[in-house]
Amino acid sequence: MTDLAAKRDAYVIPHHPVRDLLTGSVASIALTFILVLAVGLIWVGPKFLSFGNISIMGSFLVVPLIVGAFAGFALLSGVVDLSIGSMVGFSSALFATFLTLGWDPWAAAPVTLLACLFFGGINAIAIVGFGAEAIAATLGMLVALRGITWVLLGPQGSIFSFNPGLFALVNQSVFGLPLFFLLAAVLTLLTSIMVSKSRLGRHIQAVGGDDRAAARAGISVNRVRVVALLLSAFGGGIGGIVFAGQLGSAARATGVGLEFQVYAALMIGGYSILRGGVGNPIGGALGLLAVAGVSNILDLRSISPYYVNIIVGLLLLAAVLLDRFRGGDAYE
Amino acid sequence: MSLDQTIVASPPATVLQVRFHGWGTGLMLIAAWLLLIAATGIYRADFISHQTLLAVAFTMSIVGVLSIGQGLVAISGGFIDLSQPAGMITASLVVVRLSEAGMPLLVVIIGAILAGMAWGAFNACIIVFAKLNPVIVTLATNFIGLAALFLVFQLAEVPQRSEIYAFGRASFLGLPAIWWPMVALVLVVGFMLPRTRYGRRATAVGGNRMAARARGISLKATRFAVFTIAGGFVGFAAVLFAATSGPFNPGSGSAMQLNIIAGVILAGISLAGGRGNFWMLLLSVGFLSTIPTSLVFFGLSSDTQSIFQGLILVIAVAIDGLRARRGTP
Repeated sequence: MTDLAAKRDAYVIPHHPVRDLLTGSVASIALTFILVLAVGLIWVGPKFLSFGNISIMGSFLVVPLIVGAFAGFALLSGVVDLSIGSMVGFSSALFATFLTLGWDPWAAAPVTLLACLFFGGINAIAIVGFGAEAIAATLGMLVALRGITWVLLGPQGSIFSFNPGLFALVNQSVFGLPLFFLLAAVLTLLTSIMVSKSRLGRHIQAVGGDDRAAARAGISVNRVRVVALLLSAFGGGIGGIVFAGQLGSAARATGVGLEFQVYAALMIGGYSILRGGVGNPIGGALGLLAVAGVSNILDLRSISPYYVNIIVGLLLLAAVLLDRFRGGDAYE
Repeated sequence: MSLDQTIVASPPATVLQVRFHGWGTGLMLIAAWLLLIAATGIYRADFISHQTLLAVAFTMSIVGVLSIGQGLVAISGGFIDLSQPAGMITASLVVVRLSEAGMPLLVVIIGAILAGMAWGAFNACIIVFAKLNPVIVTLATNFIGLAALFLVFQLAEVPQRSEIYAFGRASFLGLPAIWWPMVALVLVVGFMLPRTRYGRRATAVGGNRMAARARGISLKATRFAVFTIAGGFVGFAAVLFAATSGPFNPGSGSAMQLNIIAGVILAGISLAGGRGNFWMLLLSVGFLSTIPTSLVFFGLSSDTQSIFQGLILVIAVAIDGLRARRGTP
């Protein structure tokens, strides 16, 4: 196999826009997404693409889309932040606590985001400052934040924080689709433009692709990674606030397992957990849509949701294998 | 095997990195553990009791055996095995089914170990043949495995009149019977790893795989063996788990994951591979297993336990990173 790899490296294939379009990471996830749509249309029928069904899926996808768009920055810069799921839970619990104390939502939100940035800062200190293994360190933060969330929620395990104005805003519909779903789609587009066109986005990609080369090019690797980790925590914070607005409450189960849902979808969408510098927010969003489509199809056919996990797991392995064929590091 | 000749013949261009820990980690762990015991004991004198000892030893047993498997994966450069919960529950299901069939204890134990090894070999096949990173492979197989287990069963329990049920509740020399095999396994593995050829090979692969391969060590065979043997430890942990847990569902094993990883890192077994002394696992796992009981005596809810465990892991990984960066053991 090593000989094959060497041979492949020997022939450096020049970039070709049409071929890149067909073999790139966004292309393969777009094909997967179209396949999911086709299967849904054939198996479930036109109900699958009805406005009602898309609207339900859309409101479920708001938080994963927001969290995924920001977590993608950390992946691009070559670090993984597993604590995003707990960050969503923590943020929704803290936000709900402030609301029950009678705070205005517009005052509670910035304070909640600052608290999330504080814990994101601890991640950054451990990973960038001390050189900790990102997966293990953020796994610790995942559990610690969940503990803090549970302490905040108290013995009942949930906080009821219904705020009519906020609820109406978050659950508003435009053209038959949830407003926040459209906003999340716009956010995905904006982050995609930011990644490929802005200075910070290019620096993040460069650091993730090859941190030594980036350092030689004069980019401060540490600063870029700190910013990426803070952005990831910020995304978790926003996701939690939106979650609390959607549900009108915060509970122990909020955000549990979200990190696996998001990262599996992002990797299916072309990101890589192991190397930075690859992936695109649009691909990641399509990955989330594809996974949501699969679970929606199984749901409409009333098949056990555990099959979704099996399919997602297999897709994840396939995506990693594809990433390796596309030039990812082989593990020996 | 001409391994020794190869080492003599090859030029000393790359140093085969096999370093073993000094006793600094051990002293630090003993100090932390004693401090925890002393603080809790001063706050509540009834903490120092046989009851506490039993609770700590119970928690230690299963986590300890699993941390041997995790440690083997880490020291050989496989980072983390995230599929231990699925592997353990699979083997526990084998334990339940075999003991329901009235098999003797020895057959049950062997069955569980084989089931664990099969799970490890399954992971190893994907890792070795598809050349994928173990962290992602085990993340995915854990996902798939737990979902498949939920399709197979919802709740399982060993029958109350079986030998294994009695084994889970027996005690020996004032400590739970399940504690002793754990100690024995840690001592044996810790003794063998730096002293046998296979143990040194696994450590060498974790330290510097290129240097190890240049010495004629097969990376594929080593990886395959390490994951399969680590699976065997998961299988044995399943025996202890099924014997003591009472009714369990497929999600019951997931909470231990964090303590296991923290235990391995605190013991000084680097996630980067190639370094570590397995005897330290007794101290690190013992320290981590004392925390829940200690928090109960301080009157803190079990929710705060997660905060402490999580922050301890963050700190441990940070220290591990600092150590790896300095390059000193």
